[in-house]
Amino acid sequence: MIDFLVNWAANVPAFAVPFALAALGLIVTEKSGVLSLGAEGYLLMGALAGAGASVVIGDHALVAFAAGALAAAALSLVFALMAVTLRVNQVVAGLVMVFLAQGLTGLIGTQQGWTNRPIAGLERIPFGPLADIPVLGPILFRQDMLVYLTLPIFFAVAYLMSHTMVGLRLRAVGDAPEAADAAGTSVTLYRYGAIVAGAAIVGLAGAYLSVGVAKMWVEGMSGGRGWIAVALVIFARWQPWRALAGAVLFGGIEALIPRVAAVGLQVPQYFMLMTPYIATLAVMVYANLNKSSERRFDEPRGLGQPYLREERR
Amino acid sequence: MMAMELSGVSKSFDGFHALSAASFSVAPGEVHALLGENGAGKSSLMNVAAGLYQPDEGRISIEGRDVLIDGPIAAKRLGIGMVHQHYKLVKAFNALENVLLACGKGRYGKSIADVEASIRRQSEAIGFEVDLKRPVGALSVAEQQRVEILKVLVEGARILILDEPSAVLTDKEAEALLGVMRQLAGQGAAVVLVTHKLAEVQRFADRVTVMRGGRTVASVDPKSRSIDELTALIVGDVQAEVRKPATAPGAPILKLTGVAGLRADGHRALADASLELRRGEIYGIAGVGGNGQSELAEILMGVLRPVSGSIEFDGVGEIGGDGARRRRELGIVSIPADRQTYALAGDLSVTDNYAVHGIRSHRFGGWARVDSRAAQAETAAAVSTFEVNGVRGPRQKTALLSGGNAQKLVIAREFATLPRVVVVHSPSRGLDVRATAAVHQRLRDARDSGAAVLLISEDLDEILLLSDRIGVMSRGRIAREFAAPVDRQAVGMAMVHHD
Amino acid sequence: MTDIEHNVPPALAVGNPDQRRKRHGFGRFNLEVRQHAPAWYQAVALACGVGAGLFIAALILVASGVGFSDLANEFVFSIFSTPRSLADVLTQAAPLLIVGLAAAVAFRVRFWNIGIEGQMILGSIAATAVAIGNVGPAPMRLATMFFAAALGGMIWMLIPALLRLRYGVNEIISTLLLNYVAFNLLLHLLYGSWKDPKSSFPNSEQYEATERLATVGWESLTYALPLALVLTAVIWWLLNVSRYGYFTRVVQANPRMAAAMGLPVVAVTVGAALLSGALSGVAGFVISAGVEYRMTQSFFVGYGFSGILIAFLARNNPLGAVLVALCVATLFIASQSLQVFYQIPGSVVQLVQAVVVICVAASEFFIRYRIRRIHRGS
Repeated sequence: MIDFLVNWAANVPAFAVPFALAALGLIVTEKSGVLSLGAEGYLLMGALAGAGASVVIGDHALVAFAAGALAAAALSLVFALMAVTLRVNQVVAGLVMVFLAQGLTGLIGTQQGWTNRPIAGLERIPFGPLADIPVLGPILFRQDMLVYLTLPIFFAVAYLMSHTMVGLRLRAVGDAPEAADAAGTSVTLYRYGAIVAGAAIVGLAGAYLSVGVAKMWVEGMSGGRGWIAVALVIFARWQPWRALAGAVLFGGIEALIPRVAAVGLQVPQYFMLMTPYIATLAVMVYANLNKSSERRFDEPRGLGQPYLREERR
Repeated sequence: MMAMELSGVSKSFDGFHALSAASFSVAPGEVHALLGENGAGKSSLMNVAAGLYQPDEGRISIEGRDVLIDGPIAAKRLGIGMVHQHYKLVKAFNALENVLLACGKGRYGKSIADVEASIRRQSEAIGFEVDLKRPVGALSVAEQQRVEILKVLVEGARILILDEPSAVLTDKEAEALLGVMRQLAGQGAAVVLVTHKLAEVQRFADRVTVMRGGRTVASVDPKSRSIDELTALIVGDVQAEVRKPATAPGAPILKLTGVAGLRADGHRALADASLELRRGEIYGIAGVGGNGQSELAEILMGVLRPVSGSIEFDGVGEIGGDGARRRRELGIVSIPADRQTYALAGDLSVTDNYAVHGIRSHRFGGWARVDSRAAQAETAAAVSTFEVNGVRGPRQKTALLSGGNAQKLVIAREFATLPRVVVVHSPSRGLDVRATAAVHQRLRDARDSGAAVLLISEDLDEILLLSDRIGVMSRGRIAREFAAPVDRQAVGMAMVHHD
Repeated sequence: MTDIEHNVPPALAVGNPDQRRKRHGFGRFNLEVRQHAPAWYQAVALACGVGAGLFIAALILVASGVGFSDLANEFVFSIFSTPRSLADVLTQAAPLLIVGLAAAVAFRVRFWNIGIEGQMILGSIAATAVAIGNVGPAPMRLATMFFAAALGGMIWMLIPALLRLRYGVNEIISTLLLNYVAFNLLLHLLYGSWKDPKSSFPNSEQYEATERLATVGWESLTYALPLALVLTAVIWWLLNVSRYGYFTRVVQANPRMAAAMGLPVVAVTVGAALLSGALSGVAGFVISAGVEYRMTQSFFVGYGFSGILIAFLARNNPLGAVLVALCVATLFIASQSLQVFYQIPGSVVQLVQAVVVICVAASEFFIRYRIRRIHRGS
């Protein structure tokens, strides 16, 4: 039983990282007041670019991650143009990004022959002697590079959001764009920045899916994780650390799926595969169950609304 | 030399001329009042100065030099600071963060210390007390205003523009604020006071510029003119309205006992309201905004459920649990303060907006087919009866109507069948004098034909002009009742004292 | 010199126009809301949007190795020259039209149904269950399957509708997640008890003749298309003529006003959502019983987005949806030959549609806003 638990827990981080980073990227974007439903698309774009870079340039993890982040960031410029400059309904714009990315990654993957082509991918890096500690060693100190990097990334983003002028302005743009504008902060600039930076983080999560976990590119491999991340952000009330906790929860569920059959539990395979989605619905219900007045400052107040300085009613 | 001079400024919004060659100037050390009715263009002109609106024509000079103000940053650099009517504050931030947002430079940690010191200095100098650590959304309106003013001062503004600063304040708070403004002017600042309150203009302003219909029509010394003369400048050649009391108040029709309601954020804004409404009278509810008036209106409209208390309708009994549909069937109609939210759908045609009750109650066809021809015919008739101007055709989008005409359309619809109870909330908000007079006349007509009218308004003059009885609302309850004619002073006192 | 003059950056002062112009290269344009745009202007903007979208999509295809002349050939000549491919397009248009209606009905009440594919799956499962179990008398079998499919889609939609009403769960996420649940349910059946006993492929067994939509007698065209057209007429009546349609219009334009006017907002919204689910279910039935004659594991792929696109381009108008559905059907059929002859993957259909939506959405910007030059004074 202990073996089972340790084995399971050791695999949770790898499943949690994509959720955690995708949710973090969404938080960055949504804190600026832009509703971001395109995460699924950025995940795909990041995954394809990560795998593609590994095929073309060779197996350098950093290059693959940079490619994933850059590709998603580049794609998000289309979204920023629609949502911020052209003031397209942000639900429509976000959905279109998902479909655009599905089409684009499918086309590029096939054309370049990257689909289903194995790559070396990320290795687990044992953390010196710490890795040999029983129980804790395999769980905490025998992970791959991005798992180790996730915590610093979270610290950096959380610090940026709450302890810098950039973060202050970003939150102001999301909460009260007219106030930020009157204070001399460019709403357009900050929203573009938040969309691109957020997409880059989601793209990193996508690259991890192909380079870190599956070690190949498969069409549509994000499998709804982007949507789960969207729900996770609502559950986390736009707070990075709560999102990380939620990601670990979902990573735990996903890591459990392949292990249930192994211990002899007879649950039909496809019903097991449904659990992350059903769990997400449950989490959404939970998030909406106890909405009290103290939380009224959680959701960015300008979320989903295009800003126009001279709007008159 | 003038601190700021605007000349020949024009601005239109999609064909609507908000400003037509308006000119305005303010000197250092001067408190300059900008007077005018709602929609006269005062805020638009000042938004041009603050860099929020780009003028179509005109020039702006600061200290005698022509400048281009292409955004709020440019205005700030030029020393122009504006306190907007709707505060430009981030509600989730505390006061410190709000000021920091506007004038923070360099590193966050150092900035925050600098700004805090600067705020303390400024607030001591003018005697302000503000809680720097609570989210400003949780502060009172007067405190939020102080944060706005401190923000502008910390930015180093030499030209201060205050848009309707006293509209949301009690008389005492307003007095203190205007005293501070005088003090700042004494130190060499140029202060612009956008307002429509003549009394405070006469007491605190050195000069007054009057706007009408987007133009600046006069610039005079307020102390040399009487209130009546100033009024004449503001409204032009329109006759002032006169009081016409009810002739025959009848039996009670609606009785509220201990009604309570929650605001969207869970706050018990309406705590314990009790009142009795009679046929053939206008019952005015006065009070500073945010004391439960909106919740009372929403409860009577049927869009907000009361959490306790009872609402009894004569001959029917308890109706507190009924929805909007049942209220309408009983003849309770409403003219809400926020037309665009509760009364009209801007994207739909004038007919679609007018015919909603008729279609719901099967007057225009059955379930299978809406008789749009009949609906259009009745709409056209009502539009002409109620003098809704600007309707070019029955299928025109409602959003194209001006505020006054949109309000008339709402009244035309609500009065299409004879109402028994009329709930009106701030009916003249955003309307010019003529439109306001027309709306008031409709309310009097409704009263004289036997309806009970509940008039909720933050404009005490409107309450005093129309009401036969007055209830003062404070902290979610009717604190005191007066029968007309009442002493303005007494009502004002009751609005401010909370016990 | 006073403080104020110190604060005036030289670029802002007059007397230095060149510098000023340079510095404010962006600031000279201003955006304002246009209250009303004439119909011809809207039509031109829309046409430009569609045209630009198709042009960009063509460029992408050319970049992927299809020649310009080949594109014209695949999309126009080869399709409209033979009755067979024309029949293929019309057959393809039927389910597309129905999902377009499904999306339009939901969007009319501001309900974002992103779960069309899941509802199609449930519709097809319900219809197939009737077919496999031989439920009801044979002459009524097809009608039974139709209603079962509608019910299946409707029940699948009941979940997000209740979640939104009862717990305030955003329907965009719930309908979308239920797609994945439905897909796994489909795989569970197709790899389990419903696997085709003859071939052992993960399909359902073939429908019997009484369980298929008959051909109309011209090429391979089945009654799927007439069925879709009848549904279009019904939905057109419902949305544009009936009192219910008026209610949906008010709810769409301003739900809070609708509530204050005493309209049954919840019933109108839930009704439209359930109808949308039912239509999606019927679309699943139309593909299984009118095109593929069995339930496959990928029959629904791409229909969810296509439905949204059709409703979006047709502006939720059922009659407009007919035209758009025909165009999308042409795209579907042309992409099949691109797949065979040029190795262009099927996902290109999504790509083209997404590009067109982006361009049309961009064109709406010019309908809703006006860009004006800022006048800098004399």
